[in-house]
Amino acid sequence: MRFIIQRDHLLQSVQDVMKAVTSRTTIPILTGIKIVANEKGVTLTGSDSDISIESFIPREEEGSEIVEIKRSGSIVLQAKFFSEIVRKLPTDTVEIEAGENLQTVIRSGKSNFNLNGLDAEEYPHLPQIAEDRVFSIPTDLLKTLIRQTGFAVSTSETRPILTGVNWRVADGQLTCIATDSHRLALRKASIEAGGEETYNAVIPGKSLSELSKILDDTTEKVEIVITDTQVLFKTKHLLFFSRLLEGNYPDTSKLIPAESKIDVVVNTKEFLHAIDRASLLAKEGRNNVVKLSTIEEKSVEITSNTPEIGKVTEEVATESIEGGELGISFNAKYMMDALKALEGSEIKISFTGAMRPFVIHPVNDDTTLQLIVPVRTY
Amino acid sequence: MERVQPAALKMVKNSILKGRVAHAYLLEGSRGTGKREIGLLMAKSMFCLTLVDGYKPCEVCLNCKRISHGNHPDIHLVEPDGLSIKKGQIQLLQEEFAKTGVESQKKLYTIVHADKMTVNAANSLLKFLEEPYPGTMAILITEQLQQILPTILSRCQVIPMRPLSPELLEKKLEAAGIDANKARLVAQLTNNLEEALEWSRDDWFAQAQKIVVELYEVLKKSPLEAMTMLQEDWFGHFKEKGQIDRGLDLLLLFLKDLLYIQLGTTEKIVNLGERSRLEQHALQTSGRRLTGQMAAILDSKRKLQANMNPQLLMEELVLKMQEGSSFV
Repeated sequence: MRFIIQRDHLLQSVQDVMKAVTSRTTIPILTGIKIVANEKGVTLTGSDSDISIESFIPREEEGSEIVEIKRSGSIVLQAKFFSEIVRKLPTDTVEIEAGENLQTVIRSGKSNFNLNGLDAEEYPHLPQIAEDRVFSIPTDLLKTLIRQTGFAVSTSETRPILTGVNWRVADGQLTCIATDSHRLALRKASIEAGGEETYNAVIPGKSLSELSKILDDTTEKVEIVITDTQVLFKTKHLLFFSRLLEGNYPDTSKLIPAESKIDVVVNTKEFLHAIDRASLLAKEGRNNVVKLSTIEEKSVEITSNTPEIGKVTEEVATESIEGGELGISFNAKYMMDALKALEGSEIKISFTGAMRPFVIHPVNDDTTLQLIVPVRTY
Repeated sequence: MERVQPAALKMVKNSILKGRVAHAYLLEGSRGTGKREIGLLMAKSMFCLTLVDGYKPCEVCLNCKRISHGNHPDIHLVEPDGLSIKKGQIQLLQEEFAKTGVESQKKLYTIVHADKMTVNAANSLLKFLEEPYPGTMAILITEQLQQILPTILSRCQVIPMRPLSPELLEKKLEAAGIDANKARLVAQLTNNLEEALEWSRDDWFAQAQKIVVELYEVLKKSPLEAMTMLQEDWFGHFKEKGQIDRGLDLLLLFLKDLLYIQLGTTEKIVNLGERSRLEQHALQTSGRRLTGQMAAILDSKRKLQANMNPQLLMEELVLKMQEGSSFV
């Protein structure tokens, strides 16, 4: 393998794939970055076996040559050293040559590095993608989807399946659901599907938050392919693979109450700040409990009482209250997470009873939904 | 391998050929009996792309090569972290297995020294062993079957390894160009060919042998000097726990030889190089005293494993081995 490449393009790619490489891996080859050169360009791959990032550098872009391929081939180089070397090279062009016995030479200007490589054959194989099973959504929508559901995944490993977000595709609609069994976040979005296929996959929450970090805030389309073992997100030059979680996601449709008895409409910001203030005293207590009670169909009172610290009471004006009187306790942190994830200046909270889960969603928008299970207080 | 562990290999071969591979195996046998090799072979058989005769891994395909180099992403190895396998390690393993395979639907994990799992670790593994995800396989490796929790044991198919015969190792060592006298001695001490080779080329080992013989002689001549000899020679040479253990083994073999001479089975003698001296000593002691001394050594070995202070341990042993002992 031998090619000459523009350093800034190489550096950008190396930085992208480095996000997937960790030093604490049990598989020695995963400490490296795989470099493949062929007629089309150069491909770099980094992986920690959970997620893999593949970055492609085309031979030329917009008429200017980026890579000059002298001989195609592949090699795996130690990520830690390779990334530092690339960052500190003196000139704008870099020549990389892998010769016999996996010896690799990196030349730039007058500096000359000899690195011991690893056999690229031994690198994990990423799944081959069937191009027809693709659907796509805009990047910014994808990031919103992740932001609105990712926070609700479980952090405990007792039920591993709940550490992921359930993605379901059916009838041109994508439904994302995350729950840790105390709260649930749901977001629907319409997608451009290639076919009539339906998917049901559980993507690890960690992978999604990593993905969110890599993506830019653009409206460009991200192509998504879900296979049996992996999910692939594809942008212009970047491929992001993640493993899926094994097992069946619990059926959440029955959790969400179909009807509501008491509907409260409030201003999101005011309500959020009120909860935030009330939680100041609640934090020390168990479960972070705050209590919400309606006052004569015109406002709600938020209280928190921790006997050894003190007590807080705040009245929040509401737009409307329908259905009668209610007093309910819930975890303030869950409520704040949910409110932060919702868009829209006004939200509707639908209760069915003091001991039943309640649903929060923006007024006039049923694509997002947050559900919280109340806390029993005496 | 086929010569060393025919029974174990046959068991593995038949279960693969008949498509009845269990979800968990426990490979059990003493040090150097090839447990890891068999574990590796099983892993290769599961993943090999071009099986020979339907069960033998080809050793040349990509998967076989990657398994040999520890680079296959769907194969995991858990080894003791320090002295034991901790709960966190098992939890990481469980996290790993909650996800789909990187390349295939099959996944395999090997736990080396499974007896060294802490109770917590063993209990979390138990849950995992009970309800395996489809396509996963476990290989547990241990030297001490008795120390595995019975609840884990009952969920694994146990494959016992036959202990290596010292004669076989002796022949191998001689074939590797080791002096016959030395080969016999080393073969008694270990089952592992690599280790045996290393020891027989080691200067430390030759020196150790000399010190052990000296200790015995000093004990006989003037028991009081034995204590000073311990300080002067023994502790300077046998520093670590493993080394002391080996020293005790050597002493044990020496006494065994004396017993062999007394019983007239001279062909079993191990310390061939010391033969003339041995015969002389054998005349001056009794079988009963020898067995008493050997019992004392075995007792010390046990105490050594229980982390007794090495100095106190050796001093106690020397006192016990002295003439007319039994006052300690």
